[in-house]
Amino acid sequence: MRFMVRRLALFAAALVGLSLLVFVVLRVLPGDVAAVMAGTNATPERIVSLRAQMGLDRSYAAQYLDWADGLFHGDLGTSAIGGKSVASQVGTRAGVTFPLIVLSLLIALAIGLPLGCAAVLTRNERLRGVFHVVAIVGGAVPALWSGLLLILLFARGVGLFGVFPSQGFPADGWSNPGQALMALVLPALATGLTAGAGLMRYTRAALGEAASNSAVDMAMACGMTRVQALLRVGLRLALPQLVSVFGLMFAQMITGVMVIESLFALPGLGAMLVTDVGNRDLLAVQSELFLLAAFFLLLGLLVDLAHRVLDPRFKTARSREVG
Amino acid sequence: MSENNGVYGEADATEEKSSANGTETTQNAASTDESLNARVKQPKRGKPKYWLWVIVAAIAAVAVVVGVCVARGSTSGSQTGEASDTISDTLTIGLKLAPVSLDIRQQSGTALEQVLIGNVYEGLVSRGSDNKVQPGLAKSWDISTDGKTYMFHLNEHMSFSNGDDLDAEDVAWSINQLKEQQYYNADQVASLERAEAVDANTVRLTLSSPDSNLLWYLTGRPGLVFDKDAQYDAKTQALGSGPYTVESFDSADKMVLKANPSYWGSEHKAKTERVVLRFLPDDNAGVNALKSGDIQVLLPVNATLAKSLDATNFKTVVDEGSDKFTLVFNCANDKLADKRVRQAIRHAINHEEIIASRGGVDAALGGPIASVDPGYEDLTSLYPHDVSKAKQLMAAAGYSTDHPLTLTLTYANTYGTELGDQLRSQLAAIGIDLKINYVEFSTWLKDVHSNGDYELSLVDHADSHDFYKWATPSYYYHYDNKEVQELYAKALAATDEATGENYLKQAAKLVSEDAPADWLFSYRASVSYAKGVQGFPDKLSQIVLPLWQITYVK
Repeated sequence: MRFMVRRLALFAAALVGLSLLVFVVLRVLPGDVAAVMAGTNATPERIVSLRAQMGLDRSYAAQYLDWADGLFHGDLGTSAIGGKSVASQVGTRAGVTFPLIVLSLLIALAIGLPLGCAAVLTRNERLRGVFHVVAIVGGAVPALWSGLLLILLFARGVGLFGVFPSQGFPADGWSNPGQALMALVLPALATGLTAGAGLMRYTRAALGEAASNSAVDMAMACGMTRVQALLRVGLRLALPQLVSVFGLMFAQMITGVMVIESLFALPGLGAMLVTDVGNRDLLAVQSELFLLAAFFLLLGLLVDLAHRVLDPRFKTARSREVG
Repeated sequence: MSENNGVYGEADATEEKSSANGTETTQNAASTDESLNARVKQPKRGKPKYWLWVIVAAIAAVAVVVGVCVARGSTSGSQTGEASDTISDTLTIGLKLAPVSLDIRQQSGTALEQVLIGNVYEGLVSRGSDNKVQPGLAKSWDISTDGKTYMFHLNEHMSFSNGDDLDAEDVAWSINQLKEQQYYNADQVASLERAEAVDANTVRLTLSSPDSNLLWYLTGRPGLVFDKDAQYDAKTQALGSGPYTVESFDSADKMVLKANPSYWGSEHKAKTERVVLRFLPDDNAGVNALKSGDIQVLLPVNATLAKSLDATNFKTVVDEGSDKFTLVFNCANDKLADKRVRQAIRHAINHEEIIASRGGVDAALGGPIASVDPGYEDLTSLYPHDVSKAKQLMAAAGYSTDHPLTLTLTYANTYGTELGDQLRSQLAAIGIDLKINYVEFSTWLKDVHSNGDYELSLVDHADSHDFYKWATPSYYYHYDNKEVQELYAKALAATDEATGENYLKQAAKLVSEDAPADWLFSYRASVSYAKGVQGFPDKLSQIVLPLWQITYVK
């Protein structure tokens, strides 16, 4: 319990620090939204009046407090240029990015875990070598390149086997789930393959380490075969580590799928951030960044909690504490 | 915890594999144990089973893929069957540049004008694809002999898409608001004093001084007419009188336009029910979308990629426009105040090479006025590519390749790194060490445009009729030439077109001779569209995109 409270307090403090950091860093960027709005024909007076209209002539402290106050009340603000609320904007974009991430991670899991385990389980040196090469090559292929390759192979109208759409998201979004899912297949494969190879390496390392743990020897001494011991005991030892890696992978993907979103012209979070930063729509960017970073922190929190649950050693420590 | 093991595959498979390993390696297990020995032998029979599963899975996967293929093929086949030879009710156009908001009175950007003017909002007068003034909401107009009073006679029974009547009151209100609120491009019509509604169908504009550009500027944003009685959020909604209304808009994805059912006019009534504008900033993505049939028109298309389009299904046209890629020399800078240096740079630049490297469709441009604008003449002979002459001029100014002049070029990353690299290598030959400061567009706006803090700058000035920038010393060019300003004032005051154009020609030539900039080329956009698309304008589609006339027959 004490751990939970400490961890939550830390989370809250990190959020406050985060908001300050985001605010300050964005103010350091050169350029401002009024100039972007006014364009290349603008007179200096027009820029000044636009700045005043948007409240950008106030002191930074006042602007920060205003924003923080809004955040505290759950108001993420409104884009200065587009006029849409940041919450709805992030909501629609997340509706593309998150399914894409989940799908990519599922693919990564389906590839990485079995292959990673197999690489440790096998005793055949040649097979091990093959697994090793697969992990390294797979991890070294940039998602952008595999994405292009997938387009050349499977994209409708362009590819060798025109199966999947490769450009954009269907106009009616998730109200047509079949089409929406089809649009995500190729991008998810592109990121999933790379991530899968990464996961495979981690699995191999974690399980390999667990294999030399005396608990595995013990299990084998009790009559389990090596494979049984590795899968039942070794994997359990490796699990907390894999959960951490998986959590980090999820977090990385939020920004990592940006390139893929642009390649497949998907209207996701990445495209939104790039446009908004380009327009110096700081009111929107600061809330968007804050949300993403907060999500990142939240994942960290969840991973920590999952550790406590998954690792029996913590449990015994706790019961000893209580007792 | 045992449920976790389920994740790693079929339980039986593991079981079998485990015993397979047992055969090869584990001598440590009690080999005398009969049950174990029995299990050891089993894998020989179990192994093929394992591979069988893999084969079954592979076949299933292939079956799914094939099934999906067939299903998709049959649905698309039936669609084309039904729709053949009739005008498709949806047309999808891919645009490289997206408007960032719908607020046409505040937000800059030619993309916004291209999409909304004439389609959603209409002006007092409109612009044809020949860049000339045509009737719009006003069917005719009279100009007083002193050029200071304009009487516009409006069409009758006009309305906005919400049903409100559009009359002289709305016109006068829109123009007066423009002046009062100093909306975007209000300074283009600085000569305009006030607008009044004489009666329901007549509007009078009063000018402080004659302005030969006024009518043309009224075809753009300053002439747009808004509903004075309507309340709406102009950033996210658009309410105009045009043949289309905005159904939805997301600047990173698409804009959906729907035909306005109660459109007042008969001439410009929309022929296609629904037009989707998809924003595809990536060149490759755009061409892929065109090839796969997701979009029917792509503008602009990368000239090199357009060559990969199959000519039996797609048509590519090159579109003349007013985009001027301008390499500006900051005359207020000490190094560039020396005219010889500026002239040397102009002689050193090999325009042909730059144009060829971009796909060879752009046109050479020797002065500040584009070929579609009044006052244009071919000025490319003023500064031909001549490296030895450039070297002489540099030597006279005190520089050589051994003692080079260091200059910094600041330009926005939207234009690609190649241009900067080409300029650097071309200028290195005459003893200029060009440093490239490659920045984001908003940084360029701040440093160069707002603060005027630069040596060389490169930007695409896309606006038509924008010679005034050379006659305004406070503009970031910092170009101050009294003679040019006088000639421009005369051109504005001229009441007949030919005289005005003549003055503009003289002024443009003076500017070009003075070398405050080099015009690298006049960008000509290539447009590709699928066979079956009709009514697409072959000129100026970067600025004027009359959607009402475009149709697509599958």
